[in-house]
Amino acid sequence: MNALYSVLVVLALVLAGLAGGRVEAGRAVLTLAVPYAALAIFLVGFFARVLRWAWVPVPFHIPTTCGQQKALAWIKPSKVDNPSSRWGVFARMAAEILLFRSLFRNNRARMAEKRLILGESKYLWLGALAFHWALLLIQLRHLRLFIEPVPAWIDGLERLDSFFQVGAPQIYLSDVIVLAALAYLLYRRFRDPAVRFISLFTDYFALFLLLGVAVSGVLMRYFVRVDILSVKQFALSLAAFHPIDPSTLNPLFLAHLLLVCTLAAYFPFSKLMHMGGVFLSPTRNLANDSRRRRHVNPWNYPVKKHTYAEWEEEFRDKLKAAGIPLEADDAGNARTN
Amino acid sequence: MSVEAVIVERWVDRALKSYPSEMHSFLGGEKDPFRNPVGNTFRENLAALVHELLGTMDKEKIAGALDGLVRLRAVQNFTPGEALHFVFDLRPVIGEVSGAISDPLQSRIDELALMAFDQYMSCRERIFELRINELRMWARSAAAGEGGTP
Amino acid sequence: MPETLVQIEPKPPRGDWRNPKVEFRKGAMCYSAAAKNLTYLGLPNPRAWQPADSDWKLPPDWKKIILDGMKDRLAKYRSFRLFMDICVRCGACADKCHFYLGTADPKNMPVARAELIRSVYRRYFTLTGRLFGSLAGGRELTEDVIKEWFYYFYQCTQCRRCSVFCPYGIDTAEITLIGRELLNLIGCNINWVMEPVANCYRTGNHLGIQPHGFKDSIDFAADEASEITGLDIEVPINRKGAEILFVMPSADYFATPHYYTLLGYMMLFREIGLDYTVSAYASEGGNFGSFASHELMKRLNAKIYDEARRLGVKWILGGECGHMWRVLHQYMDTMNGPADFLEVPVSPITGTVFEHARSTKMVHICEFTADLIHHGKIKLDPRRNDHWTVTYHDSCNPARGMGLLEEPRYILNHVSRRFHEMPENTIREQTFCCGSGAGLGTDENLEVRLRGGFPRANAVKYVKQKHGVNLLTCICAIDKATLPTLLEYWVPGVEVGGIHELVGNALVMTGEKERTTDLRGEPLAREEVMAGGESEAAHA
Ligand code: SF4
Ligand code: SF4
Repeated sequence: MNALYSVLVVLALVLAGLAGGRVEAGRAVLTLAVPYAALAIFLVGFFARVLRWAWVPVPFHIPTTCGQQKALAWIKPSKVDNPSSRWGVFARMAAEILLFRSLFRNNRARMAEKRLILGESKYLWLGALAFHWALLLIQLRHLRLFIEPVPAWIDGLERLDSFFQVGAPQIYLSDVIVLAALAYLLYRRFRDPAVRFISLFTDYFALFLLLGVAVSGVLMRYFVRVDILSVKQFALSLAAFHPIDPSTLNPLFLAHLLLVCTLAAYFPFSKLMHMGGVFLSPTRNLANDSRRRRHVNPWNYPVKKHTYAEWEEEFRDKLKAAGIPLEADDAGNARTN
Repeated sequence: MSVEAVIVERWVDRALKSYPSEMHSFLGGEKDPFRNPVGNTFRENLAALVHELLGTMDKEKIAGALDGLVRLRAVQNFTPGEALHFVFDLRPVIGEVSGAISDPLQSRIDELALMAFDQYMSCRERIFELRINELRMWARSAAAGEGGTP
Repeated sequence: MPETLVQIEPKPPRGDWRNPKVEFRKGAMCYSAAAKNLTYLGLPNPRAWQPADSDWKLPPDWKKIILDGMKDRLAKYRSFRLFMDICVRCGACADKCHFYLGTADPKNMPVARAELIRSVYRRYFTLTGRLFGSLAGGRELTEDVIKEWFYYFYQCTQCRRCSVFCPYGIDTAEITLIGRELLNLIGCNINWVMEPVANCYRTGNHLGIQPHGFKDSIDFAADEASEITGLDIEVPINRKGAEILFVMPSADYFATPHYYTLLGYMMLFREIGLDYTVSAYASEGGNFGSFASHELMKRLNAKIYDEARRLGVKWILGGECGHMWRVLHQYMDTMNGPADFLEVPVSPITGTVFEHARSTKMVHICEFTADLIHHGKIKLDPRRNDHWTVTYHDSCNPARGMGLLEEPRYILNHVSRRFHEMPENTIREQTFCCGSGAGLGTDENLEVRLRGGFPRANAVKYVKQKHGVNLLTCICAIDKATLPTLLEYWVPGVEVGGIHELVGNALVMTGEKERTTDLRGEPLAREEVMAGGESEAAHA
């Protein structure tokens, strides 16, 4: 049901984009109001959300330790999985963000009958990693639309990306990977009943939306052949806050644009915020040094305690009978026995 | 695949149906015995049972394999009937695979069922025994403490 | 005859997880906290009720209390707020929970456990949830939801295994603790947590053993240690001016097999001539408060520093206990520090400065002993443990809340010649919980514990079959209290013991009489010793 709804919403968006591209008013809305509004919502929403997290204190020092602690000098600590220094934390976060270290932990590659078996859970890591990296690459490639002249490093990236040159136009590896990875992630959500059990509308919606963006983009590049020059002109004008007349733009491009805008506007309200959140996770971004350095809780407050004096008072007779040294009858003098 | 292997596979499949359907692909799919102890218990022990049923009916081996399964089922959220239903799942499986079940095999399955009942009961008794032991131990220590909140 | 009469249907799917109905079954649930305990601690809504009742006698404004409580905590704990927001429901944590594996209940997936509260968060605290309700994954807060929380938050042992595998480090243990805090606000708690808390608050230890009882137990153990070794062993209590305050979980002096570990500590301290004291006031290191709320955790934990200050010790040494060490390592200094009245711990025997405990001033006994062994300060005869083939169970908290992995292994390798690890994905940071932690280790909950302990037992069974393991060692009082029962059921023939029990066995003390039995009074395997020694040599 959730999946169905989300497909419908995405399809509606596509249709709105295609239809809107055919009338002038629609074009104006799609190319002016929507992109700026989406951008504004994205920026404000994203930073508001991150700031709200950052605003909330971290009262306790709770890293999840995934390796040997640094304690005795002669026992080798696990510097990354159980960092004790800032550099260790940096490495841990880098491994987490760039390589998805924790997801990789899932991978217990086993040798069985002399064959390396990669099970389902390994593909989750692979799929997720491939998806995120390819997406990053694609976004960087898109920068060429917004910058004139195109910086050399973007050209370099593109050459790298089209390394396996097949036919013309060159096929970007990242396009293939993004589609494959998205398809896999979607397939996994459907196929694994346990994951399906926990999946919400937003989980499917995010996937379908991304898929919509990717497919429309691929269609434009390889099949419908949108006039890239007019797109770039439009993008540059948008970036310069001087939008030009969008009449030359292809409806498919408008659909693509609408999907991207929806994604951007939806981003701050969704789980996609994990992109910002992962940096703040207190089980990962703290060094395991809570015994070495005191962690301060800004809202630490006094609590009701059962003090020693009360305790001694309550059990005085029994303490005495047992011959346990007392405070009160000894006038505070230190006693040793 | 040998007939035996087919029977085992289908039996495991059917038996795991006693868990919520969200669990099937994990229980049936994950092969690491430590990541998936429940699924592994079924695979290993049902295979052993089939081997004995079609083979020599070694009482010890059957008891061992049955024990692994019943011990697990006895603590999970099942009625006794549900817990032991896996034994009877074998009939339709053999029916599917070889058309009919020979009389000797029928009675072997019956025997299996009876053994399973015995083991189930002893597992449940064991649980209550263990419970009582714990209670007793705590009571003893509590008495030593003669305390607690007023 | 209707054919369906005896048909037993396959279990239906759980269906929509939003349906909160749960069924409390005898033998698989914890009893509610007795009113007297709540009253004593000054906690809200003390009353007589049981989880299986249909009416839980919640306060009339319970819904407001819960929502206010959530709001409060969302503003105080970044962990809580963040974990509510960023889960992508990838399911990587799903099959990591021992309760999920043992119960085969999909709602026991860590992510599903968190969703129980996350759905309420979305409904009441996010824009999309308020606008779109269930489409945005929101869920109304009803009494059934409260019951469901109770059911599943008391089916989580706060072991943090899920957190190891989550790409964002989402720690369901943290969510469970906060969930329990919320339940506490309306008086829905379990007795096995609240009674120990109340007792500990009043007398200093979980069982409510009063000071003279405490002294009796300690003296009794000291006598027994003296008898075994033929040496004069005494344990000072509340002695001012000692160098070190030793704090252990109370089970060490009132329960078996913990008791043998206590004998081990005593013998070790006597052998190295440690200047220490134990305290009758702070006679509990274990902290059941940490299973109920941060505040109770702090209220109980405060005694340790207070007592150290009163007694004028230099630093604190802590015994074998899991959740005790989670609190000592990650919370104590923050909550009740700074401990500026203590000194940076230095081993009086080896001179090692425990730099890593420079602020908290508290050292783990395994760190302390490993250091002794490394410097050759104690003489050990591992052959005295030859009747044990040993494996080591990493207790969750020292493993995932501290990283104490190698120290106990180092000790084990010096006190035992027959040590075998369990499979790799069931130890160290991936260790499987005993299934009875976080206050669930009570007899009325035995069936749930047996389910949760199954993955651990399954690995124990493997090493038993492969290597003939007959002793599972661990450094956690809850393990020692609950694993014997679990293993008796799942893997009969494997006993449970502490690291320092084996240290006590192996420790060759100056002037001791010849030992013929181990600390449990079981005869040492002298003949085997020789045979084993030779085959070992041949092996090398
Ligand atoms: S692994 Fe983390 S992000 Fe994935 S479902 Fe579990 S809690 Fe959520
Ligand atoms: S903390 Fe442990 S018991 Fe709780 S959900 Fe995570 S894995 Fe399960």
